Amino acid sequence: MDWLSRQFSTRVIVLMPIAIAINIAVGYTVQTVLKLPIYMDSIGTILVGVLAGPIAGALTGILSNLIWQYAPGIGGGTIGPFAVTAGVIGLLAGLWGYLGVYRPRPASGTQLYGAALVGVAIILVLAWRIYTSPVYGGDPSTGGYGSGVYLVIVGIGVVAALAVGGFIILRRDAAGAWVAVAGAVTGIVAAIVSAPIAAYLFGGVTGSGVDLIVAALRQGGADVFNASLGQGFFSDPIDKTITSFVVYIVLASLSTRVLARFPLGERIAGSAAAY
Amino acid sequence: MTIAFEGVRYGYAGARQPALDGIDLVLHSGSVLGVVGANESGKSTLCLVAAGLAPATIAGRLDGTVTIDGLSTAGARPYELAQRCGVLFQNPVTQLSGTASTVWEEVAFAPRNLGLALDDVVDRVELALADLGIGGLAARDPQRLSGGQAQLVALAGVIALRPPYLVLDEPTSQLDPRGTNLVSDILAGLVEATGAGILIVEHKTDLLARMANRIAVLETGRVVAEGPGKEVLADPRLEDWGISPPSGIRIARAAAAAGVSVPEVAA
Amino acid sequence: MAELEAPAAPSAPSDGSTAISGRLPDFVARPPTGPYRRLNPTTKLVIAFAEALVAFGVRGWTGPLVVLGVILAGAVTARIGRALLPYLLATIPLVASILLINTFLYPGATDRIVTVGPLAPTWTGLVAATQATLRVVAFAMSVALLGLTTQPDHLIADLERRGAGRRVMFVVGATLRMIPRMIERAGEITEAQRARALDTEGRVWRRARGVVPLAGPLVFGALTDVEELTMALEARGFTAPTRRTVLRVFPDSGWERGARWALFLGSIVVLILSIAGRLEFLP
Repeated sequence: MDWLSRQFSTRVIVLMPIAIAINIAVGYTVQTVLKLPIYMDSIGTILVGVLAGPIAGALTGILSNLIWQYAPGIGGGTIGPFAVTAGVIGLLAGLWGYLGVYRPRPASGTQLYGAALVGVAIILVLAWRIYTSPVYGGDPSTGGYGSGVYLVIVGIGVVAALAVGGFIILRRDAAGAWVAVAGAVTGIVAAIVSAPIAAYLFGGVTGSGVDLIVAALRQGGADVFNASLGQGFFSDPIDKTITSFVVYIVLASLSTRVLARFPLGERIAGSAAAY
Repeated sequence: MTIAFEGVRYGYAGARQPALDGIDLVLHSGSVLGVVGANESGKSTLCLVAAGLAPATIAGRLDGTVTIDGLSTAGARPYELAQRCGVLFQNPVTQLSGTASTVWEEVAFAPRNLGLALDDVVDRVELALADLGIGGLAARDPQRLSGGQAQLVALAGVIALRPPYLVLDEPTSQLDPRGTNLVSDILAGLVEATGAGILIVEHKTDLLARMANRIAVLETGRVVAEGPGKEVLADPRLEDWGISPPSGIRIARAAAAAGVSVPEVAA
Repeated sequence: MAELEAPAAPSAPSDGSTAISGRLPDFVARPPTGPYRRLNPTTKLVIAFAEALVAFGVRGWTGPLVVLGVILAGAVTARIGRALLPYLLATIPLVASILLINTFLYPGATDRIVTVGPLAPTWTGLVAATQATLRVVAFAMSVALLGLTTQPDHLIADLERRGAGRRVMFVVGATLRMIPRMIERAGEITEAQRARALDTEGRVWRRARGVVPLAGPLVFGALTDVEELTMALEARGFTAPTRRTVLRVFPDSGWERGARWALFLGSIVVLILSIAGRLEFLP
């Protein structure tokens, strides 16, 4: 069990409350103050997962939701039961940490453009999968929803692909492709885990801005579960990909000296070891 | 009864240059050793190594030996070292455990961690609070204290373990003048009160002039001068090493340069 | 002064006898008073847990209504009935969403209540909506009941006394203390961005640009504190293998312990029965 106890060194134990508080503070600010239709409540979870490992990440996520739910003053709503989703996000983040996904990969020339292309392609493929997901009522050409929903998906897919490609090329860093994929995959898994929770506990409604998406899907004929799943596929990949990039940018600016002290730190330290 | 550095070299993980490059130093109990040096001279590293926190908590590589009353810090667990050597850092707030809603409980943090009997814990907290004269703060919220008060609470938390040695890393640097006076007055009297051996890193040479029996000067990880406090502070090479001498000496030198004769007094 | 204390001596099992705890200052050892409040903190936690489990686990009307009844009884006993009101009011936006979306947009339901133009609310939808509402309200009230009758510090201390790891309890306690400051800091950063003409009221794109500048400084500011606190904790014996000395013991009688276990196991049994479909006979 040494592997387990190393994930919970004193440094990680000190990082976790900070990570959880960041989850809650940023989530609260983004959802309530800035009123954006994303969650942004997993930055800390993914950060801990990548730096310390899957169990630490999972625990960070679970505790974030439970503490947010029961915290005097700001708690409430439907956050608590989604601790399951948060735990899964943390677990995945630990996996990405082990795989060294968040390591800077400076590249140039063909390698760089190749990576950009890969990133763009993956984003577009994912957007396409979501676009044609049966959850949204199937092939748009044979009925289903109004073109509005599909247009938005296409639009977001294109913008996301451009952003990822631009990120890779402008920063000359091929890691952008990996980071985008990790984020998108995390988002998709999160959506799948969240849908039953939202549907069976809360009637598919969670009280945040994304409920409008649920309403739109229901109007198109999706039942309670599929509407929640559809909304999840819509919001979660975007949210988790953005979070993934935020975490990457933060990690990339930490010195090797600081990173090396965390259990998985060495896997993140790039070749350009800045001391 | 000493903390002894013998041929100590220390390099942080991921660093190219060693932060300490051959240190031989001795701290005796019942005395105060001041350490001065320019930024990046290795002063903070010296503190961490003296207390055994480096390499135990922050990895890195230690060559040579550091022994606290005969026990080598290499391989010793941090909680064992905690009872032998206490550490106080610059920032008063980041040292608070974050687990206590009152100063009393904050000071009780370390004794409780070691599982000492409740009676013992109460004794130690009361003694620590009394030694530092902060009994009146016992019921206060540690997060809502002034810098100087918070630093004293942190110090109380450290001496609650009754370590025979204390290492202080610029304890007054983040305090305003009032806080500085508060803390330095207490520190000056602490050796008498507890008989501890104190290693104190400070920029404020005036403070060291009052407190330190001996002073060591660090430059790029090496000890370049060491001796009785007054001698070292009067050393003309001090400014070359990036250290500002105590005001008494600066005034005397400035006066001398202006042709007025004033005795050079370190205090 | 230069003696070493052997950390091996286990703490005397403080059972709350006045001889020992009488020396603790009042502000450390003051126990809560009042009916319901003076229950052991872990008991109140188990009650909240059971309430949540039953409210969500038992489908239909019975689960949430029973839980609401129990909560009301508890609240009246603790004399905090009035205090629950703000919590109840806070659920209104969520409840409104649930009611509206489910009543009017419940695919598969054909039993319309009335048809007004494009709007076609259904009875099935309304039933589903109301049940979901009751679940949500019951859960929110269980959270409120716990929050109003239990101090987090007490709960953490009691759980630690029962053997919960000191590291997990540290994380929970430190987080609770850190949240207000972090939210404040996030607010300050947002204000600073606003002062630099980053629109927080404007179009979504402008607001979205505020996210990374928000997260960045918040994370960096926090990460720099990690090193020092890590060292400070180690230097104060945080990783010692001993059991932490217990400062205060919250009273816990035999019957309370028994009732607690019964409640804990009972709610799990009820959940299992519900999942297995054995409770279909309940409305």
